[in-house]
Amino acid sequence: MWAASGRSEVVRRKGDVVSKPAARQPTLRIGSDPSPHGSGSVSACGLGPDLVAVLASCAQSDDLLKSIFRVTVASVPSPEGDSLPDVSGRYLLSDDELQFIPHLPFERGVKYRASFDPRPLGAPLMADSSMLEFVIPAGRNPSALTEVAHIFPSGDLLPENLLRFYVWFSNSMQRGRALEEISLLDSEGQPVADALYRPPVELWDRTMRHLTVLLDPGRLKRRVGPNAQLGPPLRVGQKYTLEIGAGMTDVYGRPLRAPFRKHFVVGDPVREHISVRSWNIAPPVTGSRQGLVLMFTSPLDWALLFHTITVESADGSVIDGRVVVDQCEMRWGFTPTSPWIAGIYHIRVGSSLEDVCGNTITGAFDRPLRKDIHLLTEINSSSLTFQPT
Amino acid sequence: MRDKSVPSDPSRRDVLRFAAASAVGLALPGRLSATSDAAVGHGGVSGPLQSAGVLALGPNNVLFVGDITGAAVHAFALQERDLTPQTGVELGNFHNFEGRDLVRGLDQKLAALLGTTYDKVVVSDMVVHQPSQQIFISVERGRGTDSLPAIVKVNHGRLEILELDRIPHSQVSIPNEPDSKAMLEFEPQQVYAITDVKYYKGELFVTGITNQRFASTVHRIPYPFNSSMATCTVEIWHPVHGQFETRAPIIRHVIRELNGEPYLFGVYGCTPIVRIPLSALKDGAHVHGDVIAEIGYGANPLDMLTFTSPADSKDYLLVTIDTRSASQIAVSELASAPAEPTGGGINFGPSGLGRTQRALPIKAEHFAILNPNWAVLIWRHPRTTYRLDLSTLAMPYFFERKDGMSEMNWPNGPDPFHYQDQRKEIDYVGRLGPV
Repeated sequence: MWAASGRSEVVRRKGDVVSKPAARQPTLRIGSDPSPHGSGSVSACGLGPDLVAVLASCAQSDDLLKSIFRVTVASVPSPEGDSLPDVSGRYLLSDDELQFIPHLPFERGVKYRASFDPRPLGAPLMADSSMLEFVIPAGRNPSALTEVAHIFPSGDLLPENLLRFYVWFSNSMQRGRALEEISLLDSEGQPVADALYRPPVELWDRTMRHLTVLLDPGRLKRRVGPNAQLGPPLRVGQKYTLEIGAGMTDVYGRPLRAPFRKHFVVGDPVREHISVRSWNIAPPVTGSRQGLVLMFTSPLDWALLFHTITVESADGSVIDGRVVVDQCEMRWGFTPTSPWIAGIYHIRVGSSLEDVCGNTITGAFDRPLRKDIHLLTEINSSSLTFQPT
Repeated sequence: MRDKSVPSDPSRRDVLRFAAASAVGLALPGRLSATSDAAVGHGGVSGPLQSAGVLALGPNNVLFVGDITGAAVHAFALQERDLTPQTGVELGNFHNFEGRDLVRGLDQKLAALLGTTYDKVVVSDMVVHQPSQQIFISVERGRGTDSLPAIVKVNHGRLEILELDRIPHSQVSIPNEPDSKAMLEFEPQQVYAITDVKYYKGELFVTGITNQRFASTVHRIPYPFNSSMATCTVEIWHPVHGQFETRAPIIRHVIRELNGEPYLFGVYGCTPIVRIPLSALKDGAHVHGDVIAEIGYGANPLDMLTFTSPADSKDYLLVTIDTRSASQIAVSELASAPAEPTGGGINFGPSGLGRTQRALPIKAEHFAILNPNWAVLIWRHPRTTYRLDLSTLAMPYFFERKDGMSEMNWPNGPDPFHYQDQRKEIDYVGRLGPV
């Protein structure tokens, strides 16, 4: 990669890190790209016309440039040590400088070492070597440290056969810490063994802000091996704490501001299907954009509530609107984009809706499979109707 | 991050860009249209990739890359500069079953090359371009939403990034991708959206799961891409589970022609091998795959391929497994083996051709055939917590002699396999130094 066009503005930006200047000595500087996804770059500046000419004449070989101007990751103590390759990138030569642009952008928080040593060129007027260690500052980090914003289910009385928690972080996170940082503690503060499932892959959503923490399904399903041997993971009447350790790492590589503890008491198990018929509907007023409200008889799964219930007009078209879930996941509200009109509306409930125990509208979480031949005919959805008043 | 610099050879580059744009144009019409923002890749050396998953090679040096995040399969027409013949690379002492480490500390070296630390390196897949013996590795830097995909080649032990933005490219969208929030019991469904990609006689076969009710899917896609695609769903009887299954995906597959008829052989988790004639894979079909081997419960297949044994010149199907030895079954049996009976009780196996399997001592995270005598594998070094090595392994026994302790290792020990006769090169290196 070679260019003769001027790129000097990149390296003269205010606030750039500059190594100690020395007379007649090339200077190494960091160039930060103004765009959010910028690669960044590091340049050897002040080369002088003679050195630039020599570099230009021998620069047909990328390997030669790579041996003269090297950029490496400096922060890793590695058993492979000196045999590690340099950071992959390309070179641009301009009037007075040689610029290195990494193939993948410099990563914030990683320490790099750039060294410029033109002596192998063997030409006269060669300068001595220069070296610069630098870290691209985590300039775009929000100042507030990441914390656990909420844990679902929101209630503090949870059924014995609770299936899962959702842990909601205030920023995107990194994988790899959940196993050691998340634990279930008993009323004495001691970890409850084998209560939480240890999935082979941490269960993050795409934004990496929501982590699903499952209680061991094998201990929840009655009469299967772990349940028969160890019993359910939670016991009725007992107090527990779900603890999220501060060692969870956010996308900026930082620990949490503080550990988070959700305290709860365990109540009776729920082993019924979700009874859509027993929901209470508070219909909105015709001509308004008032919220339609459903009240449930027990808490439902927070995440699924956002995309398994839809409102349709009489002709079956889906109504646009905004969903709000609150009152410990006992209440679902829907505010339409356009006002309600007179007539019938349908509330469609998808078969994938679950309560906090994994029970669905078609059956309980640990029902016997295919006990009843009619279960083979899957119910795809259930529906309710209402009319705005 | 899109490269704005002036390239060394703008005319050539413009030609490549034009070619790439034309190829994409071909891929877009009709229902395969990839016009949303989601189709835009990271640019730079990541080119159009949003993620780097399974790899496969096709005709005319095309490298296919499965991109789960981008819901697409990409085709990169590799150029001469991307394929460096690996002549002269020392592969090991074939007669003594002693392989070589081609890249020791692969994870650490990938990290250094990508400008990060080794804990942020994820190796997704490996493939070998056999004419040049060039090894390609798909890798991601980072484990979060900001992860960056790259394809790295191994050139005489050195790692080099492919500049994907300089390689002519076309792509096809994979329809009905699982919702990004949809979950299996323990994992996001999207993890399995594209499990394997293979090229066979003008077509790509893409396995994985979709958001459909019968989720296990095979897409059959003409290459070069045009607007057509056949999509089938697959049902099998899973002996270990004692039930029909329509949702668990084929994890790996190979296409082989046997007795004049081409078949897709697929392997599932927990661990049936299934045979489907390609003639059954018609658009919209709900295909029943015949289970011809149950190779044993509780295993997850990692790679599946066929190879010709240098010992008896016969072809074998090989499945590497995460929890135990790899499994080898004679290819000659695959077409004629009867389908396992359906509808019975739970059968933990092995059954069918599973009873004929031979266990091979392969402990690979990724595995491929390098040439007629050597395989290549990425494996975790047993004496370190973090260290992946890229090493060769002699065929057809796939046995790495230097990893074991045995009576034969004593200086005056027995030598039933005549290893000592083959140790001259070791003498040179170990005692006399290079001569």
